[in-house]
Amino acid sequence: MADGVTTAREAGETEAGVAGSRLAAFLETLDEPATLLERRRRAWERYTELPMPTRKSEEWRYTDLSRLDPESHVPFAPESGEEENRDAGDLPEQAARLLEGMEARSAVAVRVDGRTLHRRLDPALAERGVVFAPIRRVARERPELLAERLYTSDVSPMEEKLWSLHVAMLTGGDVLYVPDGVRVPEPVHVLRWAGEGDRLLSTHTLLVTGREAEVTWVEEYLSPDLESPLLSLSGLELFAGDGATVHYLSLQRYGRGVKHFSIQHLLAGRDTRLSGLNVNLGGDLARDDVTSHLEGPGSESEMLALWFGDGTQHFDHHTLQHHAAPHAYSDLLYKGALTDSARSVFRGLIRVDRGAQLTDAYQTNRNLLLSKHCHATTLPNLEIEADDVRCSHGATVGQVDEGMLFYLMSRGLTRLTAERLLVFGFFDEVLERVPVEGVRERLRDAIGSKIGL
Amino acid sequence: MAEHVLEVRDLRARVAEDESEILMGVDLTLGPGQIHALMGPNGSGKSTLAKVIAGHPGYDVTGGDVLYDGESILEWEPDERARRGIFLAFQYPSEIPGVTISNFLRTAVNARRGEGNEVDVFEFQKELRERMGLLEMDADFADRYVNEGFSGGEKKRNEILQMAVLRPRLAVMDETDSGLDIDALKIVSNGVNTLSKEDAELGVLLITHYKRILNYIEPDRVHVMIGGRIVESGGPELAEKLEEHGYDWLREELASPT
Repeated sequence: MADGVTTAREAGETEAGVAGSRLAAFLETLDEPATLLERRRRAWERYTELPMPTRKSEEWRYTDLSRLDPESHVPFAPESGEEENRDAGDLPEQAARLLEGMEARSAVAVRVDGRTLHRRLDPALAERGVVFAPIRRVARERPELLAERLYTSDVSPMEEKLWSLHVAMLTGGDVLYVPDGVRVPEPVHVLRWAGEGDRLLSTHTLLVTGREAEVTWVEEYLSPDLESPLLSLSGLELFAGDGATVHYLSLQRYGRGVKHFSIQHLLAGRDTRLSGLNVNLGGDLARDDVTSHLEGPGSESEMLALWFGDGTQHFDHHTLQHHAAPHAYSDLLYKGALTDSARSVFRGLIRVDRGAQLTDAYQTNRNLLLSKHCHATTLPNLEIEADDVRCSHGATVGQVDEGMLFYLMSRGLTRLTAERLLVFGFFDEVLERVPVEGVRERLRDAIGSKIGL
Repeated sequence: MAEHVLEVRDLRARVAEDESEILMGVDLTLGPGQIHALMGPNGSGKSTLAKVIAGHPGYDVTGGDVLYDGESILEWEPDERARRGIFLAFQYPSEIPGVTISNFLRTAVNARRGEGNEVDVFEFQKELRERMGLLEMDADFADRYVNEGFSGGEKKRNEILQMAVLRPRLAVMDETDSGLDIDALKIVSNGVNTLSKEDAELGVLLITHYKRILNYIEPDRVHVMIGGRIVESGGPELAEKLEEHGYDWLREELASPT
């Protein structure tokens, strides 16, 4: 606790850590638009009412939250909404390096410990009505963009505890609004760097697109290895308008010492094309809860994920493909590789509502194990109330093929390099579905450096 | 440099899993720059010999030795054998999903060159394109996943492409000719001949059922393996004789006490 108290200054108070809830005290220090503050307070109330999920629940059976102590983390000071906008050259070295190769992006933001140091949006897009700004500024200047969207997702009871904490402790968030018919030609890329341990970092993303709009969103989570733990909470709410095409990609490449919880709700309108990819490489523990709500007939949702776990890393993935409308299509492909004593969980559900006839839904989880001590749990599931649907699920857990290994080794590759190359190949089925070449290459590089190839 | 690229001495080996004996004492020597054909009926142990030379973990050596440039290689892992210049062209090459030929071969070239001495990416691409030209391959071949969805002929050509890029000192070619149509056979043979001309030290052990490929690749010696042993060796004319008379006359000779 003592460490935490000394760093509590950013939240504008020093006594809270001693006097009970440091997080409650954090809320008292905030000065922000009443609507946001009110939501924080309500969320905090909910957070304090709800018990921490235990391993007795199916949803948290494989990830133990009993040792998670949010009170031991000091929230980063929330963004003011008045952002700095430094040139790439004036950024801390680490952040500047991250911006390399991003010149062609339609929009970029760099956050360091939750504070935005750099933000750029193609002026031609701004002119066409695209908004790319921190939540707090949008709340002041364009509150109508948040109304009935921000924090409205239908979070499940099992997500609600951490979701409430996320909302109450929000450090900052990014809003992207793409009006009807606007196509954002290059990706919007947000870099979120955390440099300090013992902290709570909570970031939110609100993506709203109009009809027939098109955009690719990339967010990256980074940190050095941290000796004292960072608690990272992130939320995504994506509202894709009728006929829109939206790609969402998250690359989690934190250093060690980070626990990352991500709750994502993607909502597709009529004839919308959605795709989401979550890549987990870093942190000690990462848990993603991803729900794709197919609310409009004719919508399509692709849900993808990759992870590579080593050491004692633990990755837990929960997914829901919720078919609420007829004639919709969803396809999930989650692939993970583990080595050392790493653990992973996949628990996926396809839910087809009574009225969602002619649903076409697929769910596949494949796991590759490289050591004797790693372990993957896979629990695909279906819950179908309509009677005219096509749904399938499949899951595999396997080791690398000895025949393939010998083939690669007979060309001079060491066993380790051969295994890594096979992992890379195993991931390619997902990577090749990433729509933008530049993003694909960035993901390949990140994965390559994680697996050591 | 040793007198022989490959020297197999009284080699005995069995399948690791069920301990069935396959090689019953094989003797064979192959000098630098030589091409030897190894023929024999199905199940005689030819492919086992190839795999044992490459270090396949599915076989246990129970006696004898394999020398490469005068050094015993039996303790070497398969990757070390490859890095030292031993190459096996597989009879049934593995499919490696998601890994392109280009990426695979660059990784293999770098494995051979060692850390800190990696090949320049552009140099490598240039070399790869040249080598693909030699085997009459389309440029986009390099971006295909290794052997995935390849025809039999494409797989075999891919083996020769790897050999052409990796430049071994000893190539063991396990039924590279099987499943090839006449055009593919010519391309593959032409590739092997070119590599053999390029490197006067290259030793090739060509394992085959049929004389057909020997019309295009002329061997210095022909060996016949039956029942896990080399039972006859001779010049190219031995292949002619086998083509005409099959293996029965050899089996009869083996059976008769004289």
